[in-house]
Amino acid sequence: MDSTGTSRRKFLQASGGSLGLAWLAAAWPQVVAAAEHAHAMAAADAADRSKFLLLTPAQARDVDAIASQIVPSGATPGAHEAGVVYFIDQVHAGLWKENGQDFVAGLTDFQAKCAKHHPGVAQFADLSFDDQTAYLKHIEHTPFFGGMRFLTVLGLLALPSYGGNAGKLGWKLVGFVDQHAWQPPFGHYDAEYAGFVPYAKAAEQQS
Amino acid sequence: MSARKFRPNETVDFVVVGSGAAGGVMARELSQAGFEVLVLEQGPRFTAADFRHDELDYWFNGALTNKLDTNPQTFRKTSAEKAERVTEFPAAWYAPNVGGSSVHFTANFWRFHEVDFDERSRLGAIPGTTFADWPITYDELEPYYTKVEWEVGVSGLAGASPFDPWRSKPYPMPPLPVKSSGVLLERGARKMGWHPYPAPMAIASVPYRDRAACAHCGFCIGFGCEMQAKSSTLYTMIPEAEATGRCEVRPLSYVSRIETNAAGRATGVAYFDKDKRERFQKARAVVVCANGAETARLLLMSANAQFPDGLANSSGYVGKNLMFNTYAQINALFEHELNEFKSAQVTRVVHDWYDSDPQRGFYGGGGIDSRIGPMPIAWSMFAPPPGRTWGAGFKSLLEALPRAMIVAGHGTSLPLATNRIDLDPELKDAWGLPALRMTYKDHPDDLAMARYLQDRGVESMQAAGALEVWKDPVAESTGGPHLLGTARMGNDPSTSVVDKHHRSHDIRNLFVCDGSSFVTSGRGQPTMTIQALAFRAGDHIARFAKRGEI
Repeated sequence: MDSTGTSRRKFLQASGGSLGLAWLAAAWPQVVAAAEHAHAMAAADAADRSKFLLLTPAQARDVDAIASQIVPSGATPGAHEAGVVYFIDQVHAGLWKENGQDFVAGLTDFQAKCAKHHPGVAQFADLSFDDQTAYLKHIEHTPFFGGMRFLTVLGLLALPSYGGNAGKLGWKLVGFVDQHAWQPPFGHYDAEYAGFVPYAKAAEQQS
Repeated sequence: MSARKFRPNETVDFVVVGSGAAGGVMARELSQAGFEVLVLEQGPRFTAADFRHDELDYWFNGALTNKLDTNPQTFRKTSAEKAERVTEFPAAWYAPNVGGSSVHFTANFWRFHEVDFDERSRLGAIPGTTFADWPITYDELEPYYTKVEWEVGVSGLAGASPFDPWRSKPYPMPPLPVKSSGVLLERGARKMGWHPYPAPMAIASVPYRDRAACAHCGFCIGFGCEMQAKSSTLYTMIPEAEATGRCEVRPLSYVSRIETNAAGRATGVAYFDKDKRERFQKARAVVVCANGAETARLLLMSANAQFPDGLANSSGYVGKNLMFNTYAQINALFEHELNEFKSAQVTRVVHDWYDSDPQRGFYGGGGIDSRIGPMPIAWSMFAPPPGRTWGAGFKSLLEALPRAMIVAGHGTSLPLATNRIDLDPELKDAWGLPALRMTYKDHPDDLAMARYLQDRGVESMQAAGALEVWKDPVAESTGGPHLLGTARMGNDPSTSVVDKHHRSHDIRNLFVCDGSSFVTSGRGQPTMTIQALAFRAGDHIARFAKRGEI
């Protein structure tokens, strides 16, 4: 994670080459402040993942299990390690709290149907991984599952301050790096680009 | 000179409704010409320091875009249906804030071509449509395109595209550095014999007029630019208007109607202030720049005994001929990293299919460009094909994101009288005003053109050596951010709302200039042309005012 000093240096490296000196002297503090502010929330991960605000422990277990089916753990971290369940809990207790009761109702309905489908199993999270997958295939076109997919993606990739993306594991998974300035080359292919050849010139070269 | 503050009972020369791409230019042009201008903006005023890199808030919580709880909208495909309240993304999707959608736009800024203005004459009528020529030509607009490039700030490479229209001056800034997506599109397109070129973008590639150069943070589409490198009117036109000492921009001022007097002249506008108190602003002339959806809604909401069908609507054309620009997308994965989350969205464009070609079997023109769509959450939500939306297959796609890109197809939408904005007969907004109702069904040729461009996108990526390529389904439109055609320009008052100078045919001191003025849709990316029209309209309106012809 960048300290402010490190990110300031990176910013200088990234944009220094293209900035006029006079402009730099005049506007530098404001621009650095704005650019750093834009990323301040990303850098801060003050989310509390020690308790649930809305979900019961049993509900949280099933939410975590469903999210872990959508983005499984394995050789690399998945939804579980990224704390997606904490995002889903916190967003329904805060930012989107007006949806909280609907979400819990949908989850309760999901749990009831799952129990009916698998009598004798206490809850979805107690099924084997493969049985969980099979059950979700059976309901993957329901609004509840669509919503869970959306929430899992958000919990994986939204700012850590929303409760998920713990340790920025979601961003690491997709190769996103939260730095507020970059300089070319940005990737493999532009690094080897020779420059734009105008069409008239290209024709001359061919002839 | 600091910004002007008008007293409550003062009569201003011009009240401009809306402070976006058009309204910002209008405010600058009229105030610099010596007139007193009040700009009323329904939304708040942000500063660079307010903008954050928060994809959830900006893309999925409407941080910058219109709020459906307070400003609801309804949508239907045809007038035979009852319009349903829109619940996810707004049908007419825009940014209500000072600077309007120029704050959150992608900043694609190519010019329309000559053919966009006289295509009806070249191709003939298209049955069932209101396809028509513009009342102006490219040649008449060219000086104002140049003005946009230099005054607003556009980076690009003049003469790079063999299909580009003529120009009187090069771009003031070089193109932004090419990204890997641009290199790959260029590589594939050149192999196919096409002519990719550096994307013209309203983003400062070098420091420009006291604004910083782009720092390539990647948060352009849907975000405000904390670097002030994106050439939003918030950072360009609006401060310059205020610097005249003759312009006030009043945020949180929601215009509800334009009033007229017995002589049939506009007298000013009624609006709700930030405390929802109704106010009236007297003005010698009114210029509506509220975007291609809200402009039509305001004219319709302003109906009175003298103008029972709404203002400037003797033709019945207000709200009709809504166009979006047809759109298609394909996804591609490559062997090595592209890291498309860095820098501005688009760096290469291909316009080899700009002109309509009867041999295709349908009307339409357009192009493709390279981009990513747009940031990690949105890509993960929308890009995966069926069968890879969850589970191990989904996760492997997520891990491939650094190697992913998108090719977007952008093209024509035909104008249809049945595609329109009007007032919902039942639903009201939080101020008690009729909600915006949209009726839209794509012309079959628009969908055919989208699929045609999508196929060219597939070919370009295959030629570039993509490991995987897949198409997003081409679906019928349910709204969009390009809001065009609903108060079209024209010489004939029976088939247009404003004349070639953006003066309404019916009310001498009422002007309309924004995306609603478009007669045809162009091939996508309308903001450049909206601003060229605004510079031109501002020029003419100022001349009329000086000659006492308003």
